[in-house]
Amino acid sequence: MSGVVPPSRAVQLAYGIVLRQLVTRARIAALLLVGAATAAIAVAVGASDDRRDPLETGVQLISSLHFTLLVPIIALVFATAALGDMREDGTLVYLWLRPMDRWPIVVGAWLASITLSLPLTIVPLVISSVAVDGGNNLVTATVLAGVVGVIAYSALFVLLGLMLKNSIVWGLGYVMIWEGLIAAFGSFAAKLAIRGYTRSILTSITDVDLDLGDLSLTVGVVVPVFVAAAALVLAGARLRAMDVD
Amino acid sequence: MADWAPPVARPPTPPAPDPNAIVVVANVTKSFGDVVAVSDVSFTVGPGVTALLGPNGAGKSTLFRVMCGLTAPTRGTVKVLGVDARIDRAVRGRIGLAPQQDALFDRLSAHRFVEVAARTHGVSDADAAARQVLDLVELDADDPKPVGAFSKGMRQRVKLAAALVHDPDLLILDEPLTGLDPVQRNRMIRLFHQLGDDGKCLLVSSHVLDEVARLGSRVLVIAQGRLAATGDYRDLRTLMDDRPHRIRVATDGARVLAAALVERDLVDGVSVSFDSLMVDTNDVDRFGRNIAAVAKQCGVRLREVEPTDDDLESVFRYLVERR
Amino acid sequence: MSDAQILDRGYRRFEGSRSGLSGAVRSVAWHTTRSILGLGRKARHKVFPIIVLVVSFVPAIVFMALTVLIGDLLEGDLRPEYWEMFGFSFAATIVFVALVAPEAIVRDRRDGMFALYMSTPLARPSYLLAKVLAVMATMALIVVGPPVLFLIGYTFQSLGPESVLDWISVMGRILLAGLAICTVYTAVSLGVSSLTDRRAFASIAVVFVLLGASISARLLVDQAGFSDTWRILDPINGTLEIAPRLFGDRGDEFGDISTWLVVLGSSAWTAFGAALLVGRYRKLAAV
Repeated sequence: MSGVVPPSRAVQLAYGIVLRQLVTRARIAALLLVGAATAAIAVAVGASDDRRDPLETGVQLISSLHFTLLVPIIALVFATAALGDMREDGTLVYLWLRPMDRWPIVVGAWLASITLSLPLTIVPLVISSVAVDGGNNLVTATVLAGVVGVIAYSALFVLLGLMLKNSIVWGLGYVMIWEGLIAAFGSFAAKLAIRGYTRSILTSITDVDLDLGDLSLTVGVVVPVFVAAAALVLAGARLRAMDVD
Repeated sequence: MADWAPPVARPPTPPAPDPNAIVVVANVTKSFGDVVAVSDVSFTVGPGVTALLGPNGAGKSTLFRVMCGLTAPTRGTVKVLGVDARIDRAVRGRIGLAPQQDALFDRLSAHRFVEVAARTHGVSDADAAARQVLDLVELDADDPKPVGAFSKGMRQRVKLAAALVHDPDLLILDEPLTGLDPVQRNRMIRLFHQLGDDGKCLLVSSHVLDEVARLGSRVLVIAQGRLAATGDYRDLRTLMDDRPHRIRVATDGARVLAAALVERDLVDGVSVSFDSLMVDTNDVDRFGRNIAAVAKQCGVRLREVEPTDDDLESVFRYLVERR
Repeated sequence: MSDAQILDRGYRRFEGSRSGLSGAVRSVAWHTTRSILGLGRKARHKVFPIIVLVVSFVPAIVFMALTVLIGDLLEGDLRPEYWEMFGFSFAATIVFVALVAPEAIVRDRRDGMFALYMSTPLARPSYLLAKVLAVMATMALIVVGPPVLFLIGYTFQSLGPESVLDWISVMGRILLAGLAICTVYTAVSLGVSSLTDRRAFASIAVVFVLLGASISARLLVDQAGFSDTWRILDPINGTLEIAPRLFGDRGDEFGDISTWLVVLGSSAWTAFGAALLVGRYRKLAAV
């Protein structure tokens, strides 16, 4: 006979199941290649004798290449797939019709997605920040902003994966259109984009100005973490209320 | 003479309280937008095997999903072991579902898949439980091949094993025999009966009449989202009193016997072929009491008297096609 | 004489005229276009294309409105050129490009439709031609649409080209620039999309290739001090640079780069995408 599965065990089980589903050779290889390419660009920039101030160059590179593209999109790939793929292919029932609460499933899925996203983003970030020779502040800033960014993006995209079909396309729309276009139209709009907060972490620690990066370090860290928590709570509520195929 | 009134179809009534009931479905309707998938369905199910029979698109899978709590009913209530599976965590551990869709965690082996099912149900020795239940469905627990490479029949058995591994009280099996060869099918049906005899409640859906007939006599017939009939299908046939019974009589004097049966008003219609008659009669009992005597009077020999529409197919066609 | 006739003898062969290979290509192209734009499907399939269309046209509409309201104040540099309408909503364009190509070709491989198409008069080249036509046509909506709208708007405000010939010339250059831009985006997006059987991953890959190359090229030049020529590796801005060149102008960033190099860069990206696409489909089994 079975019994109710306690939350901690449920998190562990969901984490294991989702992680196994997310790890595919093609996915990891492709994203490793992308990370390597961004690191290669940073090495090329760092090796150049004609670059401007290394710290400013490094911040521009990290901000435009990593935080505009690599970090949000790698988080998007894993987080939308964490529960979204299971919802779409009909295997979510094997996790849902179980004697366990819903929120541990969401937390487990989120942890699985950041387990993969973090190394695939942080390692190229560190290599890039070291390669441009921007100093320890740059390395610290990129790691902190990277961790905060991955945590927030992943939570948001786990929720998106549960709510919408073709969630990757919607996520791309958020990253490219909302964060890229609309958030550039004002500091209020920028506060509604995670990119504004990661930029603020970069500018606060390195003292290099970036557009729409004028929030304090505390705000830059706390708000995305709060957003992540809220997204996970909403995802748990969604999982509880949704129809499962 | 009393005024004649046309017969009125009985409206569905909520089921009477039954202490042995494991599933109680009361006035359940499920709509998806403008589409009504299940309409005002009420029934109870207790231990044993009950077949849910209906054509494709009748609402069988939707009804199963509502029972398991996978989707909320638009109206009405469903209670499994007295509680709502959509809300109560514990009761979900007492339900085993083998869904219709083919999707599994394709990269896991059969053993791993069933073991995961056991662990997520809180089974303490998941490895042993998985091995035991894989043995029951005749799959090799040590086969490292991922289930993604399995045949349809093997995948069905993996699903079944995952539904059984935590020893549930209620088993909901959505078209579980699809893709199985005849030998496997027989074995699975025997297994279902065994589980039913052990006190479990099994709800098995199918649109294949032959399968359902072998699963047992208790059926729920669903058509176009409505519950068309419940109960033993042989008893259902008797209730179909607006349709004459059709009986085949093999004899060496077909024409003579046919004329005698008509003359004695024992049949409503008769068609004659060389060595047999097909008769329609609304009073099976009277026909059965008199056929031998009539044959003797006519001097003809009766070789066989066989009801031709006492089977599930006739019941099903009657219930489904008249809509 | 009886006028009875049997009207339905069941299955019969089609005896009418057949449209042949060109009809098949037209049919596939049209069906693909409908699929991309969500036509004939539920409302939710149209939401994203509509959002992208709106975002693409907003700058043109805003400038037209400004021209109507405060046209006198918009003189000289404040009044955008026709070719500038190509680059205003490039983010929306990239998202659309990332959406369109996977929808056009990945779904067929995944659902088994490719095998079905190969059992018709279509062969791989004609099938790909149909897909290219569909992708370019839908892409043209958001690439060429805004500048054309802008030209029409200016014309209504009597701010457009003075003579009919000039008008035709401007329209021709807009269409040619649009064709060039759509060709590059179509080739790259279809080529990259041919590498995977999942639409979502194809979309991600298209974004990584286009945006990643664009950002990298800019970083190498602006931050690392590489020669300006490296900008031709930018598939987005390098391709958009074709538009001002057709109008005898030069973009700010590409000012020192010759037109031949700009064309070479765009041609290289087109060739890269086409090679990927053709190479992949040549090897693809039709099962």
